[in-house]
Amino acid sequence: MSSAPHHLPAAGGDPPALGSIPIGPPVLGEAAAAAAAALASLPGITPGRLRRLLAARPPVEAWALVASGDLRAEPSLATLAARHPRVIDRWLQHVSTSPPDQVAVRCAAAGASVTVIGHRGYPESLQSDAHAPAVLFSRGDLAVASKGRRVAVVGTRNATAAGRDIAVELGAGLAAAGVHVVSGLARGIDGCSHRGALSVQSDPGSAAPIAVVGTGIDVIYPKEHQQLWDAVAEAGVVLSEWPPGTGADPWRFPLRNRMIATLGELLVVVESRATGGSMLTVSEAERRGRDVLAVPGSTRSRASDGTNQLLSEGCPPARDVGDVLVALGLTPTPGSALAGGRRRPPEPVDRTVLALFGADALDLGDVARLAELALVEAALALGRLEAGGWLVRAGSWFEAAGTGGGRGG
Amino acid sequence: MLATIPSAIVLGTRGHQVSVEVHVSTGLPGFTIVGLPDASVREARDRVRAALLSSGLPWPQQRVTVNLAPTGIRKTGSGLDLPIAVGLLVASGRLPAESVAGHAFIGELGLDGSVRRVPGIVPLAAAVAEHVVVVPAGCTIEAALVAGPVRCATTLTELVAALIGDEPWPDAPAQPPPPPDIAPPDLADVRGQGVAKLAIELAAAGGHHLLLIGPPGAGKTMLAHRLQPLLPPLTPEVALEATMVHSAAGMALPGGMVRRPPLRAPHHTASLVAMVGGGTTALRPGEISLAHGGCLFLDELGEFAPAVLDGLRQPLEEGVVRITRARAAAELPARFLLVGATNPCPCGQGGPPGSCSCGEVARQRYLRRLSGPVLDRFDLRVEVHRPSPDELLGPPARDGTGDVIGRVLRTRALAAARGLTCNAQLPAERLDELAPLTPAARALLRLALERGSLTGRGLHRVRRVARTLVDQDRGDDVIDDGAVALAMSLRVAINDRLRMSA
Repeated sequence: MSSAPHHLPAAGGDPPALGSIPIGPPVLGEAAAAAAAALASLPGITPGRLRRLLAARPPVEAWALVASGDLRAEPSLATLAARHPRVIDRWLQHVSTSPPDQVAVRCAAAGASVTVIGHRGYPESLQSDAHAPAVLFSRGDLAVASKGRRVAVVGTRNATAAGRDIAVELGAGLAAAGVHVVSGLARGIDGCSHRGALSVQSDPGSAAPIAVVGTGIDVIYPKEHQQLWDAVAEAGVVLSEWPPGTGADPWRFPLRNRMIATLGELLVVVESRATGGSMLTVSEAERRGRDVLAVPGSTRSRASDGTNQLLSEGCPPARDVGDVLVALGLTPTPGSALAGGRRRPPEPVDRTVLALFGADALDLGDVARLAELALVEAALALGRLEAGGWLVRAGSWFEAAGTGGGRGG
Repeated sequence: MLATIPSAIVLGTRGHQVSVEVHVSTGLPGFTIVGLPDASVREARDRVRAALLSSGLPWPQQRVTVNLAPTGIRKTGSGLDLPIAVGLLVASGRLPAESVAGHAFIGELGLDGSVRRVPGIVPLAAAVAEHVVVVPAGCTIEAALVAGPVRCATTLTELVAALIGDEPWPDAPAQPPPPPDIAPPDLADVRGQGVAKLAIELAAAGGHHLLLIGPPGAGKTMLAHRLQPLLPPLTPEVALEATMVHSAAGMALPGGMVRRPPLRAPHHTASLVAMVGGGTTALRPGEISLAHGGCLFLDELGEFAPAVLDGLRQPLEEGVVRITRARAAAELPARFLLVGATNPCPCGQGGPPGSCSCGEVARQRYLRRLSGPVLDRFDLRVEVHRPSPDELLGPPARDGTGDVIGRVLRTRALAAARGLTCNAQLPAERLDELAPLTPAARALLRLALERGSLTGRGLHRVRRVARTLVDQDRGDDVIDDGAVALAMSLRVAINDRLRMSA
């Protein structure tokens, strides 16, 4: 596996017919794309095997080899053929049922474009990685992944309201500053960072979101992210190394994390427990020499155990968008795209109600009692403050929304 | 010889007249019951035989055939013992046919010849109301609610003597004194909980289904039990339906008619049939029918089997439940006020965001037990929090049950003037006419719809609750923004926590 990067320049010169003068990576033909997608769809072909196979041979040739069933000719698969003949049997079955033209039709139906490592369009940031996916499926504008600055924002699926707030603010702030937000479209922090990025897409100079998912490009997981998924594909790009139709298997998500870590020049962890997917992303990022920033959290919040641990180990803190931009070597513009900066000041009548909100959440009854208002008046004031973005509601509880400092509630 | 005696059986909450035909002829001694009897009716033979012999009456040593007409319906219940015995006495010549003419008989027999009460006397008597109805002693009050002349029978011997004319009909036993009125729980006992108490008041006034969400000890059950006393007395029509249901379910009716709205609070292990009614032949009314006209309180809503809760959906919409079995079908009344109570999460603590120890997945799974369509039918969904020490030790609440009842009756009267039983029944297409909005209220609803915090269906429910709020408050025609804002706050999005985690 460690020898893979040495093959890459050779793969870049593939097919040899294109000549020896480097005029940029070769264009991937339709037949080659279909063959590559079909190879990626083979059952039990791991990212490593696929990468070695495609490093050795162009996709069409590789497919012909697999279809012939005689893998002894190919050193990268010879060991596999010798040790696991069953895998080869399954491949042969698969070859007859899913030929490249059918796989191509399936990709087209899912709206997925296919790119192969070493070919034109394949994101440069992934190209040089030792564990880069050999075949990349994308929905949206893949060029987004090759230009501009990129920051990965990840965190726990089980986030607190404050954590989600911060993720939205970071996403919005980074995108507005022209930095692409890379994330995984998971529940919690991942989804929120992209929501934030999407919220400023209408601004001039904003950067599109990049999502890397652990399922096929057409298998929405979690299901409730259908709209978010579509919006990210519309504004930016959704990437996957798995062919369309691949379901959500737990083991695929850590693999997805290595791509997030690779794509981001920096990794920002908003909230993470002491163990979990985000911490795996952190180790992937560290392995690749990427800087990791962590958002400080309360020492009592389990959701911040991991990030606080990172801080104690010496990671720089990401207190707001400014910290991240500085870490990227950019100059933060004051007041850029922070949610708090856009709120209209509350009506004078509502200020007394807003003043009640400190650290604690309050409900309608509490507000009416503390402000000595009728329930009707209290409900109206809470409704206005919520609409104005000053309060957020969770069930029957209201909490003060993140303050202008960008540090959340 | 042949004798035909009118009697009745119960199907659902309705009585059906049955002719008990007894034929006694020469032949090998034997006794057959035909006409789709079930096990309890077939057992009548042994009870009737023993009762006759114990009473010193003859058991014919002849061929006896009992037919229960119409033969198409399956017969169930022991109330046919008495008509079979009387028919036997007439057919065997022990009683003259004229003595029983114009009489219908209902009752179970003991082996000693005593006549025992049976469930469902009210619908049974209603089915044979054109006759003089002979019922077991102790059932006369109930039978008299629906039938004209009612006679009572204590034992078979007495009955025969009265029928022949040897003795007068026995007097109905003295009516037990009606149970003393226990003072209903008062709303003023609840300290704090301003929002929840308002919700209780609105539920009673507008007939809005209410869901109380809160940790154990917050007072959900206490609040729910204070809702039923706020409901207005039943109208005569509903009272009769409720009485039929209670009688058919075999419940004692100490006060005669059911006049106060009933309160039913089944345990969460209740089966689907226990909840909606059913059974193979009798189609016994379930809890939702027993709560007809009153309040069905389901504590620990999330612990009920999902099928049981989903079984409530159609009755909640239509106010009746149609139970159909291969051999029988019945339509039972089931218009009730649903009050649910649930914990916010498995650990039960809930509370402000971040204070509960449940994982996100556990919480989602817990809330998912309450199916969306069922949750959607609650016009009012309020979170009940544990009252603060200030509230517990503070002065008692100003509004007691007595004050609230006055407002409830006024709102119900306003609804009646609009041609509705209650505001919750406001049809969506008449909302603009009966619950017009001020421009400010309209703007508020538009904002909520645009932000996605209110759905189209939720909109109608919020407008109905706002109608009740205004009716309770001052009875204006127009709904203002305050009422709309408050109505929206009284319909907590239970999936908020789910939505926010996305």
